[in-house]
Amino acid sequence: MSRQRWWRGLRARVTVAYAVGSLLLSFTVAGATFALARAQLLEAAESQHREQAYTNAKSLRANLQTALEEGGSADGSQVDINAFLANLSRFNGSQQALLLNESTWYSPFTIQDQLQGYPQLIDGTRRWSVADMRIDVAGTVSYAVGIRLDSINATYFEVRSLADLESTLSSLRAILIGVATLASGAGAAFGYYSARRALTPLSRISTAASAIADGDFTMKLDLEDDRDLALLGSAFNNMVDAVGHRIERERQFTSDVSHELRSPLMTLTASVEVLERRKDSLPDVAQQAIELLSHDLDRFQRLVQDLLEISRMEAGAVQLQISQFLLIEFLENVMTQSRNPGLLMNFSPGDSDLVVSADKRRLAQVMTNLIENAEKYGGGATGISYEVVDDDVQIVVEDNGPGVPAEERDRIFERFARMGGVAGNRAADAGFGLGLSLVGEHVRLHGGQVWVTDRIDGQHGARFVVQLPLGPDRALHEEMAS
Amino acid sequence: MGTKILTVEDDERIRQAVTLALEEEGWDVVEAATGERALETFIASPADVVLIDIMLPGIDGFEVCRSIRRTSDVPIIMVTARSDTHDVVAGLEAGADDYLTKPFAPKELSARIRAMLRRVRAHEPGTLERTKIGELEISPDEGMVLRNGEELHLTKTEFKLLVELASQPGKVFSREVLLERVWGYDYFGDGRLVDVHIRRLRTKVEADPASPRYVVTSRGLGYKLQP
Repeated sequence: MSRQRWWRGLRARVTVAYAVGSLLLSFTVAGATFALARAQLLEAAESQHREQAYTNAKSLRANLQTALEEGGSADGSQVDINAFLANLSRFNGSQQALLLNESTWYSPFTIQDQLQGYPQLIDGTRRWSVADMRIDVAGTVSYAVGIRLDSINATYFEVRSLADLESTLSSLRAILIGVATLASGAGAAFGYYSARRALTPLSRISTAASAIADGDFTMKLDLEDDRDLALLGSAFNNMVDAVGHRIERERQFTSDVSHELRSPLMTLTASVEVLERRKDSLPDVAQQAIELLSHDLDRFQRLVQDLLEISRMEAGAVQLQISQFLLIEFLENVMTQSRNPGLLMNFSPGDSDLVVSADKRRLAQVMTNLIENAEKYGGGATGISYEVVDDDVQIVVEDNGPGVPAEERDRIFERFARMGGVAGNRAADAGFGLGLSLVGEHVRLHGGQVWVTDRIDGQHGARFVVQLPLGPDRALHEEMAS
Repeated sequence: MGTKILTVEDDERIRQAVTLALEEEGWDVVEAATGERALETFIASPADVVLIDIMLPGIDGFEVCRSIRRTSDVPIIMVTARSDTHDVVAGLEAGADDYLTKPFAPKELSARIRAMLRRVRAHEPGTLERTKIGELEISPDEGMVLRNGEELHLTKTEFKLLVELASQPGKVFSREVLLERVWGYDYFGDGRLVDVHIRRLRTKVEADPASPRYVVTSRGLGYKLQP
C-alpha cells in the first residue's frame, strides 16, 4: 500500500476531478458573465453618449449657423468656435472638436491630433454622415462620435472617456475571478468530502473482509443506512454466510470422515493384531502380506489421527492441557522414545532445572514429528538442544541432511507440503506431510513460534527451532529435586 | 477359570474383532451390545475388568459406569473418541479407572488390564506397614482405610494412589511418577488421570475436600500426603 503514489488513490483522483471540473465550470461561467456584462455596459454607455452627441451637434449647428450668419467669415475666424465647443463640455466632461471646411480643426481640448490618428473615423463621417469608434486617448479607452454638419460644411466630433466604465469592469472582473476561485476550491473540497464519504463503506468492507480472512465468519457488514449500498451489504453478508457454511460443512465433513474411519480402523487394528500373533503358522507370502498390512495400517491410523487433530484445531475445539514439567526430563523421555542412539542433548548447565508450562503430550508430538522429519529428510536428527533467550526457551532439533532451501522454509509448515527439492529422499513410506503442519499449529497454540534455518555451526543440515514463552514458574520448585 | 472381561460396544464388527484379539491374549471375554445388556450381564456374573465405549445407544457409557460403581470397585476402562475432550474427565469422574482412545491396539488394552489387575491382586505386601496419619489409618494388606475408626470405601486405584503417597509422607510425587507407579504409564501418560483420582480420593478421605488436610497439591508440580 505504501508504495502506491497518493495520487493514484481513488480519493485523490475524485478530488482532483472535482477540482478541475469546478475550475473549468466556474471560470467559463465567470468569463461568459464578464463578456456579456462588458458588452451590455459598453453598448448602453455608447448609445447614451451618441444621443448626447446628437443633441450637442444640433445645438452647435444652430449656434454656429447664427453666429456665422451674423457676421462671421466663412472660415469662422471671427467666431470663437472653441468657446462654443468648451461650452458643450461643461456638463459631462466630454471633449469636442470641429473640423471646418475639411481643413481647419478647432478644439479647446486639442484632441484633433488624436482624432487625426483615426482616418477611418473621419472618412466614415464623410461617407455615412455619422461614424463612431473606440479610440485611445492618452492611454484611456474613449468613445468617439463624428457627425457631419452639412449646412455649415463641418464635422462635429465628441470624445468621451470610458475610464469609469473600465474601472467598473475591472472590479467586476476581480470579483468574478475571486468567486470562480472560491467555487473551484469549494468543488475540490466537496470532491474530497464526497469521495471520503463514498469510500467510508469501502473501508468498512475492507475491515470486514480482513476479519473474514482471519476466519471470523460471524462478521456482518451493516450498510443499511445507505439505500444504494444496502444491496451490496446484503450481497456481501450472504456471500460471507455462504462461504462460512461451506467451510463449516467441509470442516464437519473432515471431522465426520475421520470419526467414521475410526470404527473400521478399530476392527482392522484388532484383526491385524490377531493375524500378527498367528503369523508364524502362516506361509511366507502371507507373512509378508501381513507385514505390509500392519505397517500401512499404522500409517493410516496416524494420518487419521493427524487429520482429526487438524480438523479440531480448525474448529477451535482444541483445549491445551497445560502442566508444568522439567524440560530436561521431558526431552530425555522424548529421546528415549525416539530410539535414536546417535541423538545428543545440549544445554547450558544453568538451565538444567528449567520448568516449562505446556501441553506435555502436544509438545511431545511436536518433538516426535521434528525428529521423524529429520529421519525422513535429514538422515536422522543429530542433536537436540535448548537455550533460554530472554523470556522464551528455544528448543532446537538439528540434522546433517541437505537442509531446507530458503524458498521452502515457510511453506514447509503448511499442510501436505513436502520438501520437493530433496529428490530421492521421498521414500515410499515418507508419510503424509501433516507432521510439520501439526508442529506449526501446536506451537502457535502455545503462543510460540517455529522456524527452520541452516545450521549455525557451519555444517550442512537443517536447524528447526521451537520457541516457547516461559511462564512465571520457570524456576524449579525445590521439593522436586529430591 | 481365567480373568473375565466384559466388553460393552455397540458396533458388532468392532466387538467381534476386539473379542477375538483379547481371547488371543488369553482373557475370557463376555460381550454386551448395549448399556442395559451390560448391566444385566454384570449383575448376573460380575467380571474382573469392564471395558465400556462411551458412545452407546440407550443409556450411555457414563451411566453404565456410574451404575456399576454404586455396587462394585471393579476396574473400569473407558473407550473415548478423543483424548482432549471433556469426555475423558467426565468418564473418570463417573468412576472409570483409566481410558483408551479409539482406535486402540488390543495389545495396549491388555497391558492396561494387566496393570490394573496387578494393583488389585498383587499388591506386594511389606512395601507399606500399617500406617496412621492423623485420623487416617491405612492397612495395605487388608486393603482398608479407616478414618476415625470408620472404613472408607475406596476403589482399588484410589487405594493404590493413597498407599503410594503414604509410602513417603511429606514427599512431593510428580504426576509422572504417580502415573508410572499406579497406572504403569510411561512419562507421557495423561496427568488428568492423577488429577481426577486425587479429587475423588479427597471427597472420601478429607473432611472438607475443598481445603484438603491430607492430600495436598504442591504448586502444580505434584501431590503429597501431609503427615
